[in-house]
Amino acid sequence: MNARAQAIGLVQGALAAVEAERAYINDLNVYPVPDGDTGTNLALTVRAILDELEAAHGTGIKDVAAAIAKGSLMGARGNSGVILSQIIRGVCDVCSVTGSLDTGHAKRALVEGAEAAYRAVRQPVEGTMLTVIRTMAEAAQDVPDSAPLAALAEHVDRAGRVAVERTPEQLAVLKQNGVVDAGGYGLVVIFGGLLAIATGQAVQRVAAREGRAAEAAREVMALRPAELSRYRYCTSLVIKGADVSRDDVEAFVSGQGDSALVVGDEEVLKIHVHVDDPGAILSFGAKHGGIGAVEINDMHEQTRERDERLAVETQASAVVAVVAGEGNKKLFTGLGCGAIIDGGQSMNPSAAQLLEAVDAVAAADVVVLPNNGNVILAAEQAATMSRRRIFVVPSRSIPAGLSAMVAFDPGVDGAANAMAMSKAIERVHSAAITHAVRDSEIDGVHVARGQAIGLVDERLVAADDELLQVFRNVVGKLAEDEPELLTILTALNGSQITADELARVAQEVCPACELSLHEGGQPLYPILAAAE
Amino acid sequence: MSAELTLENTAIVTDSTCDPPARYWSTAGLVIVPLRVHFGSETYRDGVDLKPPQFFEKLAASRVLPTTSQPPRSEFEAVYRGLLERYEHVISVHLSRNMSGTYEAARAAAEGSPNVHVFDTGNVTTTMSLAVERLWARLARGTTLAEVTAFLERFYDEGRILIYTATLEFLRRGGRIDRASSMIGEIFGIRPLIEINRGHIDPYAKVRGVKRQTEAMVAYLERYAPRGRELHLAFTHAACPEGVPPLREALLAARPDAIVDVEGAVAAVVGTHIGPQAVAFALITEP
Repeated sequence: MNARAQAIGLVQGALAAVEAERAYINDLNVYPVPDGDTGTNLALTVRAILDELEAAHGTGIKDVAAAIAKGSLMGARGNSGVILSQIIRGVCDVCSVTGSLDTGHAKRALVEGAEAAYRAVRQPVEGTMLTVIRTMAEAAQDVPDSAPLAALAEHVDRAGRVAVERTPEQLAVLKQNGVVDAGGYGLVVIFGGLLAIATGQAVQRVAAREGRAAEAAREVMALRPAELSRYRYCTSLVIKGADVSRDDVEAFVSGQGDSALVVGDEEVLKIHVHVDDPGAILSFGAKHGGIGAVEINDMHEQTRERDERLAVETQASAVVAVVAGEGNKKLFTGLGCGAIIDGGQSMNPSAAQLLEAVDAVAAADVVVLPNNGNVILAAEQAATMSRRRIFVVPSRSIPAGLSAMVAFDPGVDGAANAMAMSKAIERVHSAAITHAVRDSEIDGVHVARGQAIGLVDERLVAADDELLQVFRNVVGKLAEDEPELLTILTALNGSQITADELARVAQEVCPACELSLHEGGQPLYPILAAAE
Repeated sequence: MSAELTLENTAIVTDSTCDPPARYWSTAGLVIVPLRVHFGSETYRDGVDLKPPQFFEKLAASRVLPTTSQPPRSEFEAVYRGLLERYEHVISVHLSRNMSGTYEAARAAAEGSPNVHVFDTGNVTTTMSLAVERLWARLARGTTLAEVTAFLERFYDEGRILIYTATLEFLRRGGRIDRASSMIGEIFGIRPLIEINRGHIDPYAKVRGVKRQTEAMVAYLERYAPRGRELHLAFTHAACPEGVPPLREALLAARPDAIVDVEGAVAAVVGTHIGPQAVAFALITEP
């Protein structure tokens, strides 16, 4: 097999490996800018090498090395892609000179690759792919020249994996975010892909970061956005046949922004920089040569998209609740409720309204809390219409809904939440105190219009002219089950009594109870309560 | 060089994040290396320049939020050097490397000293004091390095602490809590419980009300302390000394066999990351 065919096979392996982990590498990306595109940039850079190789004519090792170097330089995307292109270039330079690749040559090639990468970066930072390639090159020197190439590759592969694991110890922003360096990880993935083809083995996932660590990383990253770049646009281009030196180009470019990389030679210079004015860079390039491979990305937009993507992935479940009253809404929101539909007694939301709210929240599973007996049906109907998995937890009152919220965990799926939340409301007895709107006979008790009435679990237990007396009777009824906790949600505006009076009465009637009293602000019901 | 490790030939080093009881500072053969706490440009040695009550007063009064840093490696080197003049062995036990670079600094300082053995307890605060107590007991009866190593490796896995904290603000701000999104406090009477084990700070439960908080803490003890083993406990609090006795009573009522080895108070460094009004107990079982 000729060198070109061999190289194509190897690069295909590398591309397959990096494509397989592209999304994961994107999510690891917090440094230098958390724009979540390292995996994409590395994959596109490797793809450019493959395209160049496939278009190349020569089949000798020198022709192949030249094609690889050119493809990686022209196609390099982002910081990580440019650094990768320099590593590859260093390796290819050695291959071009030696015309063959044995263990001794490969050791030198790795060193040259590492040195080329360091040269490309004005201020090298440890804990990045620079450290990883350097560690790999250093490890290579432990292997005797007489060892087979495969032994060298496996040794270097192991060293790379260890180096990636250590990046959080070297770069604080990685440790804070609970991730390894994305570029370094990508480099080891690519090397692993090459190795897999060379040895005929399946690609081994680098991922020491499976399971818990990866999950934690996602969550932490989603919660705490890393610092944005000062500059907005990631700009890259090539200048062909430049009439100024690399140093002059670098001096100009680095004066315009940060993360500047200028690599290549007079024939083709590749520029990568983060700036606010990409136009200035393009103008400079056009003035001094022919420009091509222009790519401009809005990093702030990328960062936002990455954060959103991670936020969505983080939350396995969300809650949609039907709630009336400003104070009550705040409690639901504070307890992690994802969306609230205004409503309740005498203002029941429709299935369509519920469906709209359910489809708008960012989670795979949604738990719906109707918080009213008359809303449960509509919620169940909405559940059959949504593209999400919906779990209706049949809460019949706002305080019961709050008890359910306490059991909610956004990190577990809807079925688990529904079970825990349903269990939480089973032990809750709800009470509501309002004023009768007409004379009537309810549950065998005569009620006059305007009288205060108290219901426990939707059955009338008290009626009196005095609100406080009804409250006393209601708490007495609730106290029969010797509850541990009494929740009271008030809406006492326009009423003669105060929250302090309610607290005093509650303590008198049910001294063993812990009291949790909040201003709920619900309409029609001066007092809602629950005991559990 | 004797193979048996005893209190006569072995010293213990730990760091101030074990939130030690006062007696630790003056115990011969036990050295506490302080981490640092910074209020703006002022730097204090944890537990040395700033004792727990003063720290919380300062925290309440300060407009700038404190930050913390690990002890310099040179300080560990000096401590180890000094101890090796009088002792044959040093066992150095530290807070989780996930939380601080202290363990790494100690490790680096111990390089080239084969008789200094550095361990990550996978934990922090009074849990570390509990490790010190159990080590001390082993040294008092005579032990071996192999036994110490096996114990501390088991301690990393099995040593754990459950913390009730009135505010999650400090933990959240420091970004030191995993799965923070599921944790809620300071609303609707919710009392969050946080557990630390194997270097991870995780939400354990959120319960409403003091009674359920106590029940949940007792349930935690029952879950992780199998009967038939010797149960050792440690308690601590952050600016909340009144919180310890009721918790101790509840746990001892459930497990009268438990032995309380140590009671400490959260000092400046741990206090910076957990804030005031926390009560906690740590546990380890012994055969």
